[in-house]
This record gives sequence, C-alpha cells and structure tokens, in this order.
Amino acid sequence: MNESRARIVAWVGREVLPHEADVRGWLRRSLVSDGEVEDVIQEAYCRLLSLQNTSHIASPRAYFFTAARAVVIDHLRRSRVVRMETVTEIEALNVVLDEPSPERVAAGRRELDRVRRLIAALPDRCRRVFEMRKIEGLPQREIAHQLGVTETIVENDVVKGQRLILKALAEGEEAISRAAGTPERDERARDRRGD
Amino acid sequence: MSERETAEAINEQAMQWIARLDREGRDARLQRELDAWLAGDRRRQGAFLRAEAAWNMLDRASVLEPSSEDASPGLDRRRLLIGGGGLAASVVAAAGGLLTWQALHTVRIDTRKGEIRRVPLNDGSLAVVNTQTRVRVDLQPKLRTVRLDKGEAWFEVAKDRARPFVVAAGDVRVRAVGTAFSVRRLETGAVVQVTEGVVEAWCVGDEAHVIRISHGDQAVVAPTAPPTVAPEGADEIDRKLAWRSGLIILDGDTLAEAASEFNRYNDRQIVIEDPELARLTYVGRFHTNDPEAFVKAVTLTLGARAETTAKAYLIYQG
Repeated sequence: MNESRARIVAWVGREVLPHEADVRGWLRRSLVSDGEVEDVIQEAYCRLLSLQNTSHIASPRAYFFTAARAVVIDHLRRSRVVRMETVTEIEALNVVLDEPSPERVAAGRRELDRVRRLIAALPDRCRRVFEMRKIEGLPQREIAHQLGVTETIVENDVVKGQRLILKALAEGEEAISRAAGTPERDERARDRRGD
Repeated sequence: MSERETAEAINEQAMQWIARLDREGRDARLQRELDAWLAGDRRRQGAFLRAEAAWNMLDRASVLEPSSEDASPGLDRRRLLIGGGGLAASVVAAAGGLLTWQALHTVRIDTRKGEIRRVPLNDGSLAVVNTQTRVRVDLQPKLRTVRLDKGEAWFEVAKDRARPFVVAAGDVRVRAVGTAFSVRRLETGAVVQVTEGVVEAWCVGDEAHVIRISHGDQAVVAPTAPPTVAPEGADEIDRKLAWRSGLIILDGDTLAEAASEFNRYNDRQIVIEDPELARLTYVGRFHTNDPEAFVKAVTLTLGARAETTAKAYLIYQG
C-alpha cells in the first residue's frame, strides 16, 4: 500500500466513517430505494480515492456529503426520471451541512471511545478474536492456535465482526452505544446474521 | 457481464478481502488478484476503501485493555467449550488486564534492525517507528513528550492545544500541536520532515531561535550550525518517508545512498565496491527487507556483477 493511499484510508476511518450514518439518512430521504443508497455510498467512497491530499479539506463531513450528492446527480442524469422530492433534498444539502461540526480537539479520544464501543458490541468469540487481533496484536494463525479453532473459523469471525461493525457505523453512533449497553443484544445480532 | 452485482454482495466480498489479506499478508500474487477484482467495478473500489478504513481504524484499539467486567464469565464458558486452548486464551486476557495507567501513558519502543512498528498512542496520536530506534513516549496531563534516543520516527499528532507534543532528540526540540512530522537523529542534531501542518524546532539553550517548519519542508537542526530549512515538497517528503509502508523508493539517488539506506534495515550489507558505480543514480521501488531484489535489479539493468557472502552483497563493475 503506498503512502498516500495509507493516508487516505486513515483519514476516511477517522473523519468520514463517523458521518456515514448521517449521509445515509439524507440519501434515504431523497432516493428511491435502499439498494440505491448502498450504490451511492460505495461510489462516494470511490470518489475519495482520487484525493491526493486531505489537508485542504476543512470539513470532511461536508466533503463526503458533497461527494454523495455528486453521485446522486450522476444517477439522476442517467435515469431521466427525476422525483421532485429528490430535487428538493439535493437543494437542501446546505442545511444539513450547517449542523455543528464535532470539536476537533478531542478527536483522537473520541475515535478511541468509538473503537472501544464497536469491539465491545461484538458477540462472544467474535469479540475475543477482535481483541486478540487489534488489542493484543496477535496474527490470525496465533489466535486460531490459542482459541483451539481452525484458521478458517478465525478468518470467518473477522468477516462477521467487520459486517457487524460496518452495520453499526452505517446505523450511527447511537445504535452502537445501545448495542454496547445491553448484553442480550449480542444474541440478537447473532440471529440477524443468519438472514 | 450479464447481471449487475448487488451493492450488498460487493460489501461482502470487500470484507472477505480484508480478512484474507490480514490472514495471508499482502504479497505480490494476492495484490494482483485484488487489483483485478477492484478493476471490475468502481463500487468495489469504494466498498473496499470503506472496509479497509474501518478495519485499520480498529488499530487504535491496541492501547485499550481487553474487555474486563464481562470477559471473565465468558472466558469460563469458553474454557468449558473448547478445552485446552481456552486456558491459553484466559492467560492472555489476564496479562492484557494488567495494563496499568502508567503502562498506558508511558510507552517504550525499541526496534530491532529491519523492524518497523506502528504504535497508536493513548491520546489518539500515532507513532510509526523505523529500524533500530529507541523512543520513550510520556503522555502527561499538560505535556506530551517523546524522547528519541536513537533512530527515526514519524508522528501523527492528535490535536490538543492544551497539551503540546514535544520530541526531544538530543539537544534538539521539536514542538507540534496537531500535525504530522518525522524526526531522525544525526551524529549531532536531527533532521525534521513535516508531512502535515507546521512544527517549531529549536536547540536547548538557544530558545530564542525557534524555527518554523511547514508541510513539505525538511530542516536540519543542530547546536553546531544555524538551522537550514529546505522546501522539498510534499511528494518528496512522502518518498523519503516510504519506510512507514516498509518501502524504499529511489528516485535519482546514487547507488551509494541506496546501499546505505538498505543497510539500515538488513544484516547482510550492500557494498558498492566500485566508486564509479557508486555514483550512478537509480530509480525504483523496493521493500526495506528485500535487498536482494535491489541487487538483482542493479546487476540486470546496469550490467554490474554481484557476489553474495554470508555478511554482504559485494557489487562490482560488470
């Protein structure tokens, strides 16, 4: 991974992911289907890849909203069927952006809390795998050895955990703290994975 | 392509890629496979960036303790379920639980030759520590200090105006509030390279002469001579700091310079035996721990001759 990409990845994790839930909320108010929301999100992230440098971006939140809007406008041009609500929402973007931007001073601290909550909300073995991988820094092979399971099981747990964490990020911070606060939520999360 | 892949299917594959890369390591073969997958659809690139960003963000967790309150009953249950392996798991969890306040706020890092370590700090900052380096990080309530005893490190500093971040490299001091920069110790003094924002640097006893070093600049600060600041440009600084990704990127460096760069990371040293050859310049991209690839490249493209001994690669004019 080259250095500028590594920087973009770190910047996205720190500055963009926390706003994804809000962008999704805004998209849902203006778009046709949930399926399309997911497409727009992926294409908006793809646009971030072309950034050479992020230091000029004063508000990553606004930047991500604008990237998502550009994707929506692209879709609109291609579909030719423009809903009135969509146009209204697109024009209302500036209102969304006026929300107070989170205080940057404690950004590192907040990120750490977020990571703590995300990992704590994972179901049992999955959480253990993430703790061993990310807190204790053990490679997957060693985790498999210590837990007495195959490497494939650990790799699958890594996928499962990511699925839950990305879902939590998509739903927003409040969903994360709710999930972390109630242990029985783990069970439900596990059930949901089946579908 | 007959049918359009759903966004959900793409997300799923992106996560599987992350898990697989984490398990197998990113070698050239896997990278080619990944590149081919990514090239298939812009949405895949976006989904992969998103998954990778979330996965890497979790690296911050390395300063946390494993979950304590609810872990013990869970561990007991697991121990029953999985037998022998469970004991080891609980021992690891117990060791993790011993981390004290002091351990969380004071970090000593000592890297071996060839080792490059990423160390997230408890204040949200990140240190990437290069080969053969010794640093001690001390996060006090009013001040964050890093003592660089030898070697080189790059810091991405979490903004906190009330708590300046100061690197002490011998007599040289470098102060940042929220910014990213590297410091490398020299025989006397230090080289400072700034990748983001602005830092201030000075020498102990000469606090009246504080210099400001901005994004894209490189400065040499030493007690023996007036400081020099050169605008290298952001790309050039990034190239020089490619070691953070385990890379050496040569762009018109002489073979002598390239050799000494590789020799920082590897026991088997590269020696350019011919002075004329040593002055030739080279362009290329290599892994810090793969001097052999460089030796091969030089012998192939410059028609040089290499002799490999237990301790060195000796390179002669062909």
